[in-house]
Amino acid sequence: MEEKNTHIDQLKQTNYNSNNDLDLYLKALNSAYSGIIITDNMQYDNPIIYCNKAFETISGYSHNEIIGHNCRFLQAQDRSQRQRQLLKESIQRGEECKVEIRNYRKDGTLFWNELFISPVKNEAGQVTHFIGVQNDITARKKAEHDLREEKAHVELKIQERTKELQEKETFLSSIIETVRESLLVLDANYIVLSANRHFLNSFKVSSEETLGKPLFELGKQQWNINSLKELLTQILPTNNPVIDYEVDNIFPHIGRKVMLLNAYRIEFEGHYKDRILIAFEDITEKKEQDQRKDDFLSIASHELKTPLTTIKGLVQILQRMSSDHSNEKFVSTLDKMSAYVDRLNLLITKLLDTSKIQSGLIELHMEPFDIDQTIREAIDNITLAVPGYEIQLSGTTGAIVRGDELQIMQVVNNLLSNAIKYSPDSNKVEVSIHKVANFVKISIRDYGMGISYQDRLKIFERFFRASHIQKKFPGLGIGLYVSHEIIANHNGTLWVESELGEGSTFNFTLPIINNDESHGA
Amino acid sequence: MERKKIMICDDDQGIVEMLELFLELEGFNVISEINSTNLIKQLTTHQPDLLLLDLWMPLLSGDQVIKIIRNTPEVKDLPVLILSASVDGAAIAEDLGANGFIAKPFDLDEITSKINAILSN
Repeated sequence: MEEKNTHIDQLKQTNYNSNNDLDLYLKALNSAYSGIIITDNMQYDNPIIYCNKAFETISGYSHNEIIGHNCRFLQAQDRSQRQRQLLKESIQRGEECKVEIRNYRKDGTLFWNELFISPVKNEAGQVTHFIGVQNDITARKKAEHDLREEKAHVELKIQERTKELQEKETFLSSIIETVRESLLVLDANYIVLSANRHFLNSFKVSSEETLGKPLFELGKQQWNINSLKELLTQILPTNNPVIDYEVDNIFPHIGRKVMLLNAYRIEFEGHYKDRILIAFEDITEKKEQDQRKDDFLSIASHELKTPLTTIKGLVQILQRMSSDHSNEKFVSTLDKMSAYVDRLNLLITKLLDTSKIQSGLIELHMEPFDIDQTIREAIDNITLAVPGYEIQLSGTTGAIVRGDELQIMQVVNNLLSNAIKYSPDSNKVEVSIHKVANFVKISIRDYGMGISYQDRLKIFERFFRASHIQKKFPGLGIGLYVSHEIIANHNGTLWVESELGEGSTFNFTLPIINNDESHGA
Repeated sequence: MERKKIMICDDDQGIVEMLELFLELEGFNVISEINSTNLIKQLTTHQPDLLLLDLWMPLLSGDQVIKIIRNTPEVKDLPVLILSASVDGAAIAEDLGANGFIAKPFDLDEITSKINAILSN
């Protein structure tokens, strides 16, 4: 009995102890953060026989709703996950397994379950139970998902940007390849980095003989010109472009050409500051055209003057013959003829002047002269020729100007004739001459029709005639062009101030020479 | 006083006729030649006192003519007065060593005064 009691006590003790331990274990399991279940593998369909508090919290089901179910109830209708197959196989084989699987709470909401199952075996090696440990990793999954999304988004952006850049590059290179101008890109050592198609075509060279070579060694070294080299060396350090540099040379394959060269430092958002872009323009034809035009004018004026010489001579012969006769009408008719022949000659001469000026042929006979006196003479001449006009002169300078007096006279004549010609309703012209710094300034003011802004811009161009005067007033559109060129050749400027209907003031300046110069010359 | 003999060489018929008319009225003996390639032969034949010469002529231009004249012993000292409508006529005349230059179109007074000045030298 004693023994029995002792045994019972021991048993009780053990029971008590084990009960105590079990309580402790259960408490531990219930305070765990992870959901824990135990399934009985020996029963049909491996039912859940235990779950802890955390599992209730994670799944949203109560203990009673859980016990007896197979774990798959957590998957709701989402049965086709790959992880499920993995679980199934591991259970069949009685092995450990860890999966991340989509599960659904009682309220139907999704949660990501990191599930670890581990078999419990008896002494015979039979799998009697499985322990499942579950962690709700929804937050982590979401973060991972967001990260993936973000990454994908960034990648998409990069792809788009790359595509955009490629398109831009294609766009730019298609422009560069299409432009009808030859382009080269050089590095800081004047080595050709790229050449566009137009360059290769117009110089009849291949990219092999162009790329990677210094500009100055291309072809027969036709770009090896000291002054050009000097200009090019200034581009990178100073960003001073080379503008309209003319190269007249004999090129391999294409012969003699006149090339206009423009070079710039390339800047692309602060990059490539050590690259030079050179554009070449073949102006050979344009030059030839200009020459042909000047030749034409020169020949035309010569051809026009030839018959004019005969007419002029014949008129003079008639005038000589008629001096014996007293028929006044005959005499005055011949005089008129003579005057018109002279006028025709003047027009032809003007036409030729423009071609001479254009080709730089006009000769200046530079000598010091008294500008005040020249202006007075010009006014006197025109007053005699066109009576009825009041030409007022104001101011004197006492200055000596170095120049071609006849040409300056021609300018003043042009301006005075224009002032009279284009003010049909006024008979007053004012001329003033003043000293301005070391220049004389001559202004010729009329009260005529004036000149519009648009016309003022072009009035000094060759053959330009203001639209509203074309029919009313005869002229070739040469006088102002020639005057402008003459004054420019004298290092002065000619300009106009005018408003439509309010008359015009034409001004020009000429540099005054100092005393030493005037005596020394 | 014996009439001075003047040769005109110009490819323009109108100018030649006008000058012939004028110079005859002025009391000169006038011979003219339109084809400059015949000129040297004419000069050696007629031995004029002065030549009025155009510059721009087909086949043989005025400057070529002058060079031939200066290299032809019979006429090498012949005074030549150049008449031209060309832009650089004056400069060419000077380069060629002509005795004078008149730009076309001209005043007839200028023709007579230049001719007389050259002949009186």
